[in-house]
Amino acid sequence: MSGSKPDILWSPHHPNRYVICDSELGLYSIGPVGSTETKPGTLSLSEETAATLLAINSDTPYMKCVAWYPKHEPECLLAVGQANGRVVLTSLGQNHNSTCKELVGKEFVPKHARQCNTLAWNPVDSNLLAAGLDKHRADFSVLIWDISSKFAPETSVAAEKIRLSSVDLDSSTVVTKPLYELGQNDACLSLCWLLRDTKLLLAGMHRNLAIFDLRNTSQKTFVNTKAIQGVTVDPHFPDRVASFFEGQVAIWDLRKFEKPVLTLTEQPKPLTKVAWCPTRTGLLATLTRDSNIIRLYDMQHTPTPIGDETEPTIIERSVQPCDSQIGSFAWHPSSQNRMVVVSAANRVMTDFTVFERISLAWSSTASLMWACGRHLYSCVEDEAEGTDGAAEKDIATKMRERAQSRYGHDTVQVWRNHLLAGGISHMKQCSEDAELKLQGNKQFAVYSGIKNIVKTSSGTTESRRCWSGSDRQTDVTRFQSDERCLALRLCGWISRGPDIDVETFLRSLEQEREWERAAAIALFNLDIRRAIQILSKGAVTEKGDLNLNVVAMALSGYTDEKSSLWREMCSSLRLQLKNPYLCVMFAFLTSEPGAYDGVLYESKVAVRDRVAFACMFLSDAQLPRYIDKLTAEMKEAGNLEGILLTGLTKDGVDLMESYVDRTGDVQTASFCMLKGSPGDVLKDPRVQCWIENYRNLLDAWRFWHKRAEFDILRGKLDPSSKPLAQVFVSCNFCGKSISYSCSAMPHQGRGFSQYGVSGSPTKSKVTSCPGCRKPLPRCALCLMNMGTPVSSCSGTGKSDEKMDLTRENKLAQFNNWFTWCHNCRHGGHAGHMLSWFRDHTECPVSACACKCMQLDTTGNLVPADSS
Amino acid sequence: MELHILEHSLKVASIEKEGIEICTHGLIKLAFLASKTRCKFFSLTETPEDYTIIVDEEGFKELPQSNLISVADSTWLALNVVSGGGNASSSQPIGVTKIAKSVIAPLADHNISVFMLSTYQTDFILVRERDLPMVMHTLSSEFTLFRVVNGETVAAHNLGISNGFVKPKLVPRPIIHPLSSPSNMFCVTSLDPDTLPSVATLLMDVMFYSVGSKEVGATSEDSSHIRFFSFSLIEGYISLVMDEQTAQRFPNNVLFTSASGELWKMVRIGGQPLGFDECGIVAQISEPLATADIPAYYISTFKFDHALVPEENIQSVIRALRTESTAQ
Repeated sequence: MSGSKPDILWSPHHPNRYVICDSELGLYSIGPVGSTETKPGTLSLSEETAATLLAINSDTPYMKCVAWYPKHEPECLLAVGQANGRVVLTSLGQNHNSTCKELVGKEFVPKHARQCNTLAWNPVDSNLLAAGLDKHRADFSVLIWDISSKFAPETSVAAEKIRLSSVDLDSSTVVTKPLYELGQNDACLSLCWLLRDTKLLLAGMHRNLAIFDLRNTSQKTFVNTKAIQGVTVDPHFPDRVASFFEGQVAIWDLRKFEKPVLTLTEQPKPLTKVAWCPTRTGLLATLTRDSNIIRLYDMQHTPTPIGDETEPTIIERSVQPCDSQIGSFAWHPSSQNRMVVVSAANRVMTDFTVFERISLAWSSTASLMWACGRHLYSCVEDEAEGTDGAAEKDIATKMRERAQSRYGHDTVQVWRNHLLAGGISHMKQCSEDAELKLQGNKQFAVYSGIKNIVKTSSGTTESRRCWSGSDRQTDVTRFQSDERCLALRLCGWISRGPDIDVETFLRSLEQEREWERAAAIALFNLDIRRAIQILSKGAVTEKGDLNLNVVAMALSGYTDEKSSLWREMCSSLRLQLKNPYLCVMFAFLTSEPGAYDGVLYESKVAVRDRVAFACMFLSDAQLPRYIDKLTAEMKEAGNLEGILLTGLTKDGVDLMESYVDRTGDVQTASFCMLKGSPGDVLKDPRVQCWIENYRNLLDAWRFWHKRAEFDILRGKLDPSSKPLAQVFVSCNFCGKSISYSCSAMPHQGRGFSQYGVSGSPTKSKVTSCPGCRKPLPRCALCLMNMGTPVSSCSGTGKSDEKMDLTRENKLAQFNNWFTWCHNCRHGGHAGHMLSWFRDHTECPVSACACKCMQLDTTGNLVPADSS
Repeated sequence: MELHILEHSLKVASIEKEGIEICTHGLIKLAFLASKTRCKFFSLTETPEDYTIIVDEEGFKELPQSNLISVADSTWLALNVVSGGGNASSSQPIGVTKIAKSVIAPLADHNISVFMLSTYQTDFILVRERDLPMVMHTLSSEFTLFRVVNGETVAAHNLGISNGFVKPKLVPRPIIHPLSSPSNMFCVTSLDPDTLPSVATLLMDVMFYSVGSKEVGATSEDSSHIRFFSFSLIEGYISLVMDEQTAQRFPNNVLFTSASGELWKMVRIGGQPLGFDECGIVAQISEPLATADIPAYYISTFKFDHALVPEENIQSVIRALRTESTAQ
């Protein structure tokens, strides 16, 4: 603020004018680059704006501080505080017959000369100008001048000898009698008028901050502190004030003035300016000496559930408006986040807009929001319902939809729904696994996957079979064993039961119009006729592919002559067939016995078909090698079809891991692993992690009911996951748990001891501790002892209750629960409490002011799946 | 009212006139290069007899060891009175008179020796560090006591000594030392620290080469003309006391002056060096002035005390003080 260091002041009313003061005052006008003609005086401030010097005033030497008159008229009236304590009114760029003519040149002289540190116009009573001076042993340091006062009848001054003051007092324009004198025998370093009451003046005195009240000048409120420089009121919060000392900024709340509400992190160099942004709440800019950055503090008022004691969060960041060292800066009074910066040397100015911090948040439901300045943007996933849209949906959306449609809970149908929706065709296998499990006999084998099944294969028989419907012996060897048969069943080719006929499966495929696949499977079962029949059937049906007839024709020409033209043509032309099943059909027919790579490694063919094929035609030596190779491939790709091979074993977890890594679908992983895994797989930390994440996901979606259902399912399938009782209600008198089950079998920890949870009416009637017979606490609302039934469901017998667990009935039971506030420890029946807090925030106990419900952050949320 | 006990630990020293040369380096550093030292409290007062230095421990390191420098044995603490409430009364008597009754007289009653230093900005009352419990006890009834610790002002607690003090006898305090009043007039002033470099050479001339300039003055002035100059730089504030002739050597607008341009005359107390143990000297002078509502500055030096009173009051002051001494 001293003469050499520049400062900037924006005009309070002209949005495009500002004054720079260093050794003189310079008035500038700012405008777009284009509009101002490139006059020689134009200075570029940024890419878009330029400034023009309008006027210079160098009438006032020894400037220490400047303040701009706050009212519209007279505009451009400035008060300048000088090194000797005089305050001079001056003006810039005004023609001389303007309204402020009589004010310009007026001087306000303190009794004892000392430096004027600061000036502040009263924003309302704009004829009041407060000046803060250095201390004098017998004088006041805060002088409030009335600029409209008539030139004092200076009898008192005139009477005294004017001797040493060689600066003659031109008594016509000199005022020596201030309106108010405050702060005796102290120094004043900074001043500001308080916005909440314009009779209040906040002053940074030598070692304290003081609030002077003009209505009663003998009183002051003060607080001792070092942070007394640059006091400034937040324009958005009239009670919030910033001040600084060396490198530290203190933020004060005038309502609680004893100590700063917070101090900002100390900066290594002394601060020179601190200013609140007038266009953005809670944004404070600070500048230190010899620095080319401006540090910004964003003080947010995050609503916190408990009280006002928590400190507001502060986001700190720095901006660098220009390369040179900054002398001073000033926020634009109305343009958002805009400031002009002047360099410490050479008066280089920069127009700069602080880019608003972008805050971004994902919702748990795949929509995205971000805020920048006064704009709020939201990005919602396109709800376009389309067949191809489904495939492109985000996995989270997909999981959410599936969760809503009770994915994974009940039946094969649900699994199939998913199968269609997600295009993943593995679940069916799992469900069939599950069906097989119900048969009970080969439980272990089934879940260990085909890979393990075929390893244990023994007693394989080889047979050469005829083409069905003909006597021709094939040169194809087919292998059979119990394990292979089981594997075929797992692949879905043959159904359960004694017969090993694929006809049922073929028919179901025909129904699903999978003609090529059905034909291929028929062919692999050495039934060319059936295959041809299927193909021609496919050709004649509605929308059928007529080419199938051609294929059937080609098929019918099959010959086992090794060097026939048919073979030659088929083995080369089959590669041009688009349908993989048609392709593998010819591969099968044209390949050498025992060398079926064309079939086995056709990746477009479903894994289960390839595995089934392998089980039929690969020898005991070839089969495990092929299966191992395929398993590794599946694991690598995270292809869920591979579950068929790995089963729900460690291998399966590995495969699932790479699937989750690829898709993020913890939902499928959780259900799949839960659905009948042996214990050691469930204990795998990865599996636990998926399950926990899925539960968290459901919680985040507020699908609390779904989560509860999932937990129940999980508890059924994995009893070890049942949570232990977490809450026990114990009697105040004897200290024992009041739960009946607990008292009956002590130290079991099994009983869920929230009293009243159990459905039995005999228990819910108990109103005293089962241990010591003392009465239980009373409900704060109905004043009945706890345990007393509050609804009419009391009469129903135990068996009845189990029969009809109607919704109403359940609710009534919940209403009986104990609830209490963890803070004030008052409570009562859950139902009563719920209805009380629907209309109240305070505790129902009359003398208690606890805001129980507000302490519960989730208390006001509602589940998103209100089922 | 608030009484602030400042954190400076002060030494009071006297440099013989012929010893000033060896100290010049340190003194210039303390006076003009404040950023080069950690000294916060420095005062240099030239009297015809010697130079009196009041300086804090940091600044004391800048001074050389010499037998031309004598140091008062104890460490001193500075007290400063701050008006707590913003009292709007404008006819406040200036300086020592204001605190004469509230601080100086009670301390004198309790036999506490004080050392005064008035500056343009304020009055410092220096007391010995060892007397502090007594001082606090004496003044706690009248003042809210604060101690400055690391720049923060904190409430000072009475050290718990409330018994065992002799009840002071309230006796009239006659003036026992001879008084004299030099003929020249003084101004008490200050200047903007930013302009200090521009007048540094002039100040050095005034401070250290007074012998030469005095010859000029001695020829024109009568024999009762006294050589007296005081410079202090305390917590960033500069205060100057110099005679009218010296003040005229400064450029216009550099020195701060009061609107009325008042001048002061000096009352010099003591015929022979006063020492540091006698108490009540300041009280003897300031009480009658306070009673007569005459503003005053009071500057103690190593050997003598000096009071400055407005020139127009000098006759009545002399009269009042004479009455006091003859009333004996």
